[in-house]
Amino acid sequence: MSATTPVPAPTAAYRITPARVLRSEWHKLWTVRSTWITLVTSAAFLLGVGILMGATYTSDGGDSDVDTVVLSLYGSQLGGVCLAVLGILVTAGEYATGMIRASMTAVPRRLPVLGAKAAVFTAVVFAVSFVTALITFLTAQIFFSGTDQAASLTDDGVLAAIAGNATGVTLLGVIALGLGAALRSVPGAVGAFIGGVMVLPEILGMLPYEAVETAVRYFPTQAAGALGSADPMPGAATPGAALFALFLWAAATLAVPALLLKRRDV
Amino acid sequence: MIRAEELTKRYGDRTVVQDLSFTVRPGTVTGFLGPNGAGKSTTLRMLLGLDAPTRGHSTVAGRAYATHPAPLTQVGALLEARSLHPGRSAFHHLMALAHTHGIPRARVEHVLGLTGLTDVAGRRVKGFSLGMGQRLGIAAALLGDPATVVLDEPVNGLDPDGVLWIRTLLKSLAAEGRTVLVSSHLMSEMALTADHLIVIGKGRLLADTTVSALVREAGGASVRVVTPEADRLRALLPTSPHPDAQITAEGPDTLRVTGLDAAAIGHTAAAHGVPLHELTPQTASLEQAFMDLTHDSLEYQGAAA
Repeated sequence: MSATTPVPAPTAAYRITPARVLRSEWHKLWTVRSTWITLVTSAAFLLGVGILMGATYTSDGGDSDVDTVVLSLYGSQLGGVCLAVLGILVTAGEYATGMIRASMTAVPRRLPVLGAKAAVFTAVVFAVSFVTALITFLTAQIFFSGTDQAASLTDDGVLAAIAGNATGVTLLGVIALGLGAALRSVPGAVGAFIGGVMVLPEILGMLPYEAVETAVRYFPTQAAGALGSADPMPGAATPGAALFALFLWAAATLAVPALLLKRRDV
Repeated sequence: MIRAEELTKRYGDRTVVQDLSFTVRPGTVTGFLGPNGAGKSTTLRMLLGLDAPTRGHSTVAGRAYATHPAPLTQVGALLEARSLHPGRSAFHHLMALAHTHGIPRARVEHVLGLTGLTDVAGRRVKGFSLGMGQRLGIAAALLGDPATVVLDEPVNGLDPDGVLWIRTLLKSLAAEGRTVLVSSHLMSEMALTADHLIVIGKGRLLADTTVSALVREAGGASVRVVTPEADRLRALLPTSPHPDAQITAEGPDTLRVTGLDAAAIGHTAAAHGVPLHELTPQTASLEQAFMDLTHDSLEYQGAAA
């Protein structure tokens, strides 16, 4: 620049780094009530439904063929919705409140913000879901002991299924987070998640076409279900394929807002 | 230093900002003035990289805002709309922004003190009054100790105490050598705070001038004089060393004097024993200058009765 500008020298130590953006998003996540409410509610659903399943179970009740882990963690369907809402609030919530303007002014390259949001959300939601799922499984086993659903963590596929369940709800939450970032509206993203991710595959699954039925196995909710069962279910994707499919869905749902983020006005 | 070069923003076929070029220099308060809907907020959002210009570009300290490694140390901004989560406390809001740049807690506490928010820092922003919200926005703007401060309508909705506080703050920021750009739709407010003025209307540059030059162009500040000896006073007033001085009669005993201040007129009258019934400096001319300037570019114009 031609003119010399006698401005106060900025403190050289202040600068944006990816780790600092992560720290900022971590701080943001824990300083609003909605995070605590959605996490605690999802854990309560998981544990509560698990106890309900255990307490009401009888070996001759017709549920004997249900996978033990699936039965114990049945509440993850409800809990997963809470986590999806959290994912949507993390992104679309900032557009609703206007916080996004402050975030994007602080980090005007924008993409690190979305990346940090997804990373912090993934880590926190997986940790909470996995720990809650473990506790729920063990609690349910107190009731299941002596029935045909008695199982232990060391049984074949059990620990993998519990981790798979947590991975499933986490990646479904990441899809919700991506929808929130793309649609920039909390109600819009909640609607898109419930309609597009939860209900649509159920409807498609009803269609009498084999190809559609096969494809639906790899849809997010179905893939998450396959990940969460200790014994491979008939007519479901293998855990490896399910994990890969779910990962692709999450990546694709994040890629859309990532591509749009640079172009769109905040 | 902010430089805008031919900034243009179109939404569909509606042009909000057109070919806007200006430079904002450090060490002074620059007022960014225009009627409602003139494109002020859009221009500021383009400077901050929030909106992409359809054409043209802008730089802060020589490069685009978004390309600075530590943007918060370059520009601190208060945007017109609230930019925060109402459920977060003032402290945590600032801390979340501070973390992105590695700004320490001590600096967050410092700006909270600077804006008088220390006592309410732990409260959720939801319960803040408009004035407290503005103060928090300004605390966020000062967080990175920025070389440039951009404030969009900072006095909107503030009580007189708050307005005075902002005026003092803006002047002290400029005195520290910072670049200060502050938008307003009120000429009277800018007249009290700004040294330099950038006036826009309908997205176009109308004037890039100083407050004193604008006053001069508008015919200067005038003094209203009421005296029973109007003709005699008129002859006595020393117009010769003041070539700009003009005296017009507004009535049989009323004069309007431009180019001479009230003190000079009063001294002359006293020296010659001319009784004065009224000696009133008129400052409305600045507002009038602004109105004249923007008259053709008002978005919503009331029909003349």
